[in-house]
Amino acid sequence: MAGISVHALNAVTGKPGAGMRIDFSVLEGGSWRLVKSVRTNAGGRTDEMILKPEDTKVGQYELLFYVDEYFAKQKGLASSAPAFIEKVPVRFSVFDATQAFHLPVLCTPWSCSICRGS
Amino acid sequence: MKPPESDRRSFLTAGAALSLGAVLPGPASAASDATVLAQAAGRSTPAAAAAAGRLTFHGSDVYHGLTIGTMRVDVSMLEGNAYRLLKTFDTAKDGRSDGAWFEGPTFKPGRYELLMHVGDYYASLGAKLPSPPFLTQVPLRFNVADVAQHYHIGVWFGPWSYTYYRGS
Repeated sequence: MAGISVHALNAVTGKPGAGMRIDFSVLEGGSWRLVKSVRTNAGGRTDEMILKPEDTKVGQYELLFYVDEYFAKQKGLASSAPAFIEKVPVRFSVFDATQAFHLPVLCTPWSCSICRGS
Repeated sequence: MKPPESDRRSFLTAGAALSLGAVLPGPASAASDATVLAQAAGRSTPAAAAAAGRLTFHGSDVYHGLTIGTMRVDVSMLEGNAYRLLKTFDTAKDGRSDGAWFEGPTFKPGRYELLMHVGDYYASLGAKLPSPPFLTQVPLRFNVADVAQHYHIGVWFGPWSYTYYRGS
């Protein structure tokens, strides 16, 4: 299925990145326009797709993951050290709107992995 | 470039008498340990200079298995609500920063963004990718809290993925 979807994962605990805020923006005329802010569900995914297949067009998109806010709320993981990873922007192209663009994001307070998944 | 382990060890040994190592635990503070100890000893050594706070970078191309060309990286810092360009660098052909990109008085605390020109890198190598490619300019954002420490930004990148981390 086409469209844009995400999956946030906590690579410290191996659990889903539940309740993480994500701001979704689209590049229009050289600047980023915020389309919506969403939160991941208990599974680290979003209840609705970030962008449904019928709404997805060829273009440049940004997902801003609130990783610092997420880890600040995790009991037992709070660190006295200042955050290294804060909010993580992921920018990517949809070059073919008939394809699915699924973006898993694995994060820790010190690292972040992003890929095109399925 | 971190100091040879033997140099670091000799500093830590010297520091045992000062008990400074005990109050700065963890590998992340090893650089600042050495700096503090060198200052406490009232001297500057090559190892102390090498251990001083700085920003270094290493991008590893996991598509080709090794980084085989230079990559442009724009370094910006957050000022107010916007990231302002400080300087543009080209990596060495192995993907590393050629020495420190910022160190000493030029290394400021704050929120950094390294914008990696991944699309141009693969285009220059003739990789067959969609147009536009999935990744073109990849922003890596992180916070530098203590400029006495060494912040090494490691990145494993390919045309479809990337991982970045605080390295050493």
